[in-house]
Amino acid sequence: MSLEALLVAFFVLSGIGVLSAALLSEQRAVQSLAWTGSAASLAIGMAGALAIAAKDSFTVALWSLPPLGRLTLSVDRLSGLFLLVSASVFLLTSIYSLGYLRPYAGQFSTRALCACYFTLFASVVVVLTAGDVFTFLVGWELMALFAYGVVNYRKRHEEDARPGYLMLAMGEAGFVAVVVAFLIMAASSSGSLALSELRAHLVSVGWQTRWIVFLLSFFGFGVKAGLAPFNRWLPQAHPVAPANISALLSGALLNLGVYGIVRLNVDLMPPTTVGPGLLVLLVGTLSALTGILYANRTNDIKEMLANSSIENMGIITAGLGAGLVFMAVREPVLAGMAWIAAFYQMTNHSVYKSLLFFGAGAIDANVGTRDMDRLGGLIKRMPWIALTFLIGALSIAAFPPLSGFVSEWLTLQSLLQSAALASTAVKVVFALCGAGLALTAGLAVTCFAKTYSMSFLGMPRSDRGHGVAQESPSIRIATGLSAALCVLLGVVPTFVIPIFGRVVEALRVTDASAALVPPFFKSASERPLLPPAFVDEFHNLGAQVGRGLVPGSGLVVLHRGSSHNPVVFAMSTTYMSIVLLLLTALLVFVVREFVSRRSRSARAAPWAGGLAALRPESTYTATGFSNPVSVTFSAIFNPTITEERLEVIAGHFRHRLTRVVAEVHVLDRVLFQPLARRTLEIAGTLSRMHHGRLNAYAAYVLGTLLVVLFLDQTHVQDRFSFSPALILIVALLLDRVL
Amino acid sequence: MLNLASMASEAERRWPEQVQAWVDRRKPVCELRPTLSEVLPEIAQWLAGEVRYRFAGLIVEEHQTEWEFRCLFYARKEPGWAHLLIRQPLDATSVPSISPQVHAADWHEREAEDLFGITFEGHPRLGDFVLHNDLWQEAVNPMRRDFDERTALAERTPDTEWRPRRIVQDPGAFAMPVGPIYSGVTESVHFLLETVGEDVIRAFPRLFYKYRGIEKIAVGQSVDQCLLLAERFAATTAFSHALAFCQAVETVCRAKVPPRARTLRVFFAELERFRHHAGVIQEICESTALTVAANQAAILEEDLLRLSCSLAGHRYLFGLVIPGGLSCDFSDSACREASEKAAEILTNFQDLEQQLRYSSSFLDRVEDVGIVSEKHAREFGLVGPIARASGLAGDLREAQPYSGYERFAFGAPLETEGDGFARLRVLFAEAAESARLMAQAATMLDPGEVCASVTFQPGAALGWVEAPRGATFHWVRLGTGGVIERYHPITPSFVNWHGFHLAAENFAFQDFPIILATFGLSAAENDR
Amino acid sequence: MSQWVIKGLQTGIKTTRYPAHEETQGGVSPGLPSAPERVADEQGRHLAKLCPTGAIVFEDGTLRVDPRRCVHCFRCSRATHFPLDWRPGYEWASYASGRRAPAPPWPRVFSTSLHILVVDAGDCGACLNEVKQLNNPYYNMHRLGFFITPTPRQADILLVVGPVTDHMRIPLREAYEAIPTPKLVMAVGTCALSGGVFGPSFVSGGGVAGTVPVDIEVPGSPPPPLAILHGLLVAAGRKDPVASTNVGKAGAPA
Repeated sequence: MSLEALLVAFFVLSGIGVLSAALLSEQRAVQSLAWTGSAASLAIGMAGALAIAAKDSFTVALWSLPPLGRLTLSVDRLSGLFLLVSASVFLLTSIYSLGYLRPYAGQFSTRALCACYFTLFASVVVVLTAGDVFTFLVGWELMALFAYGVVNYRKRHEEDARPGYLMLAMGEAGFVAVVVAFLIMAASSSGSLALSELRAHLVSVGWQTRWIVFLLSFFGFGVKAGLAPFNRWLPQAHPVAPANISALLSGALLNLGVYGIVRLNVDLMPPTTVGPGLLVLLVGTLSALTGILYANRTNDIKEMLANSSIENMGIITAGLGAGLVFMAVREPVLAGMAWIAAFYQMTNHSVYKSLLFFGAGAIDANVGTRDMDRLGGLIKRMPWIALTFLIGALSIAAFPPLSGFVSEWLTLQSLLQSAALASTAVKVVFALCGAGLALTAGLAVTCFAKTYSMSFLGMPRSDRGHGVAQESPSIRIATGLSAALCVLLGVVPTFVIPIFGRVVEALRVTDASAALVPPFFKSASERPLLPPAFVDEFHNLGAQVGRGLVPGSGLVVLHRGSSHNPVVFAMSTTYMSIVLLLLTALLVFVVREFVSRRSRSARAAPWAGGLAALRPESTYTATGFSNPVSVTFSAIFNPTITEERLEVIAGHFRHRLTRVVAEVHVLDRVLFQPLARRTLEIAGTLSRMHHGRLNAYAAYVLGTLLVVLFLDQTHVQDRFSFSPALILIVALLLDRVL
Repeated sequence: MLNLASMASEAERRWPEQVQAWVDRRKPVCELRPTLSEVLPEIAQWLAGEVRYRFAGLIVEEHQTEWEFRCLFYARKEPGWAHLLIRQPLDATSVPSISPQVHAADWHEREAEDLFGITFEGHPRLGDFVLHNDLWQEAVNPMRRDFDERTALAERTPDTEWRPRRIVQDPGAFAMPVGPIYSGVTESVHFLLETVGEDVIRAFPRLFYKYRGIEKIAVGQSVDQCLLLAERFAATTAFSHALAFCQAVETVCRAKVPPRARTLRVFFAELERFRHHAGVIQEICESTALTVAANQAAILEEDLLRLSCSLAGHRYLFGLVIPGGLSCDFSDSACREASEKAAEILTNFQDLEQQLRYSSSFLDRVEDVGIVSEKHAREFGLVGPIARASGLAGDLREAQPYSGYERFAFGAPLETEGDGFARLRVLFAEAAESARLMAQAATMLDPGEVCASVTFQPGAALGWVEAPRGATFHWVRLGTGGVIERYHPITPSFVNWHGFHLAAENFAFQDFPIILATFGLSAAENDR
Repeated sequence: MSQWVIKGLQTGIKTTRYPAHEETQGGVSPGLPSAPERVADEQGRHLAKLCPTGAIVFEDGTLRVDPRRCVHCFRCSRATHFPLDWRPGYEWASYASGRRAPAPPWPRVFSTSLHILVVDAGDCGACLNEVKQLNNPYYNMHRLGFFITPTPRQADILLVVGPVTDHMRIPLREAYEAIPTPKLVMAVGTCALSGGVFGPSFVSGGGVAGTVPVDIEVPGSPPPPLAILHGLLVAAGRKDPVASTNVGKAGAPA
């Protein structure tokens, strides 16, 4: 099928989905969501795959709106990658929703959810395939709106609609910045809004404009991607939304922010200085650190996963930033490596985060609580979820040979390539950020060790933790597929990296995948780039095992540095998995043959120091497990004991010790609350202008008009060929502010 | 500090018509008998507060037709006892609690409630003390006359629904259980440590896993048989307990112990103290994992055990003290040699102390951990080296001298920090004093008999000794023919376990074993 | 740091040479009463009446001493017209009564190293203190391959002291169940063998045998460390036990 046909099929299926929501009953709407959604995901996923495989980008023109130019949809390799990833997430979510939403049919309006779901999907595709600015912005707004709709789906349950509203509000603030960025870009180029035109004409723009556009777009898309410090909405939105929507939010919607950053700052207007890249790198590291610290602190599974998404987005952004820096110093191969790492991390994150959210949703539905202090022992109750959640947790904690390990390893390795840079200051920043990312990796292990052990292992701590739960087949399939993907993406990275390599190649950078996955070769003459001594060493390392048997380039991810930085790094999760399997098989064999035959093993209750029974309240809680992290980083968390009360009876018999600890998020404390305070002060000062005298207000309007006419008369017209629209927008903004 | 006569008249003045006072100058004891039990808490508070007497214990006796509740108070610095005595008919099983006013009475009342079934009004924590509620589900009071101690050991099934009381309300708090079987060679005690992860917020020791019911077994036994019980219920301080028991019996029977025996008793009591403190120091060093110092201290403890065995025939001095004196005589030269050997051991001991003072890694672990303030020590009525390390002076050898201690010169070390290091210093200082007392006693041996005959007569009396762990009081009531009617030992571990949580709380988990070691408590002595 | 080294060198080697050689230092053991070859009726009856726990039994003209009941009160040697001699020594361990031959094949692995779980089932403190002395430089049981472990999962032998109080019955049983087979149980001290002066009563059993099956018995009140060491060596099969003497008053739980 051609790409055009697939696109059409997708939109038709989405339309069918929306219609079905209007026409069908509640139960059927759920089924429609699942089946039609799966079909639509498959369609657009295949479209994405075709786009990556294609040589050129595919463009289709839609309608023409006179002042805004022609609306086009264009699918190039970058769009294709994001389409493929989003489609996978939507496919998994659709399958999962079949089982997960069934209990919702009576309580909430599943038809509304179904409708919002398809419109959200369609708007995401529109954003990813937008060929001009207007289409992009329209798609973005629709996406934000329908995202609000699905996040606040369970509004009746929570008293507060605030989280969804916060998401919408902060998203809108970002949107305004993005709009301004796009308009500045359009004004700096030939005035057309088509992305292809922008790409061609923005090469000669000055560094001031580049900085402004970069800052505005980074802020705008950063809000969407959940980067610090503008991500306060994310940990609040996730617990509110139902689990399948959370998976969408983390797995597909956050990626749109990354898409925006890449599209604007890598594709359309690549940086020429290292500044933007360093800023992106620093913001990424900061997000990663704050995200994982707060993930360790919280006991609500979904809030923890939200914070972990912030961390992963931070890692992705750090990879992007490193790539931007390498791009600016004209090291395209290293930039390509860094971007491959970032895309890999993004893909992995979409898959394992969806998996983890599916698991969290299943836990919530079965046990009735998300508080890890009250879970426990679920491995017996939900064995399939326990297994798949384990694979997801190991992946996100970057355990070899799973997917998270490969992408984090690649990210850290690309940061290590800073040795190729000239400036010491930049190298220092790279080193610090590398250390920061290493710290987050360690904290991620702590976080997920706590999550898994407190939820699944140990003794059940709530009443509903006993017995065996029902697991619907669709949930099993969804979690099983995700887990399989996690394993696949980890075990055969050498087949996955070339895909990202193709995407990076389209961004006018050389194909770095060759630098990472050198193909099998027969003789030195085939690879004149690599010296013969190295080829021999390569051969002796065993890196050519499988040649002739295995298709593709090889099974080792290997990079050899340049002549002034001849460091080789190599990794092969494929070999690792094979060896692991062999050793496990050997171990099982040895144990069965030699050990089990000789001795019997008996089962006994756990030893509890002689107590007749170990009680659940004597076992470690999640708070206790993460207490060392809280204590070590208490300068960041800054908990204050607002109330400490010891109730005493009859003189000295202690009855109850209550401690109320208040904590303000570090970003709120350091940034937002002082900002809000200053803003309110300024507003207070400005409010003196609103004294109610009509004559003064008339004077204000007259003054604004005079200023605008003055600007119009002088230099504006030369520089900005889009003056009418710009003046209108500026006037509207001023009006808003005042 | 009032003298007893003025105490009596003051009491009668404050509570006219409600208190009868009676003074026995010989002992010296002032007995205050309230006619109304409601007035008991006030008097107790007055005795503990204004009069500044120390609370020793509560003795409950079930006679043929009435209950007798006796609260014992004693003066800190000079001989003097105040007994607060209430008699009630047998069907009146409730008495006002004095624990809100005199905190030190807390555990005594809980024990009496569990064993006798007496309700102490105003005490909010009765029950589940000696007889664990998850095991003894029926309301049984073993110390009552109608309970036959030869009842066979019943097979009990534990109650799985039983939960301990929790105090900390933090959402993530949990109660970590330790024991009763834990870590190496330790006595069976169960701890519930409430925590949110790093610090112990509340420590709750659950004792009486080793309750052997000796007070019940003793009823109806002869003095000889009960002496065995007294010696063996806490055998690491066997001599002191046996001594207290014998002194009680001697007081009842008005027997006069020969001076040689009194001096020898001092000699052996101090030998036991020296050996006991060596053992506690060894435990402290081992708990901080300073193995080399622990081994050095262990050498000294073993030396003292062998010295005890060579001299007296048994490493823990069993079978030595009997009512009327000692069971065998020791030559002057043997005692002198033994005290010289003890002085040698003391030199090594003091070497060890010096080296410990300069081990900064060791001091890091014991300094400023497990702090008990003087105020708390006084409120909870702590005794022994622990109290003296918290600034609470008081030593029965000085305040209420017995067995001829008034003839000896010795110092009572006092520290004020109340932390583990202070307790360690007190132990070293007391051990040095003990060795010197042994040397003094070896030179002050009067010739003569070593045992006087004792004719048993009915009566009741208190025998007291400053045991190595602190003040211990044994109450003995004899019936006709030398048969025990009531035997109630009040042990220093019982008193000090009550205050253990003060030291263990708000310190990290890793400090817990060290604090436990610096307290040097015995569960056997507490459980009886 | 160096001060400890110097101190250690000055202290020298204190370790006993047992089991290679007999320990001849004074004060290592209180000894046990020994029954003489012949004894007059009057003496025999007097001594049997004098012993508070029934350790001395006079039957058919012969005097027998059951060390499992002796509480070291010394009345038979001191407070009497007919003092009984005590024999020195410390090798008192025997197989639990009823076992004649070496018990069912104790695995050879026990012969080189034993891991011991110590459970205090209500003892007075003296037996436990003697067990603690096993690790002091004088006895140093590590050199013989004996180690104390805090967890039953790694234990080979359960060493129990105390008469087994009511509250400790379930913990003791739990500990026994938690030790993986093959395992041994060693009851140390008179209280653990016969209840001593404490039991049987309403809160204590008359010894460990009523709660868990016992393999090796070490009498004494308390048995000195060398006696316990002998018991461990018997458990490891490296030393011979003495004959079990389960004579005494009927009614003791077997």
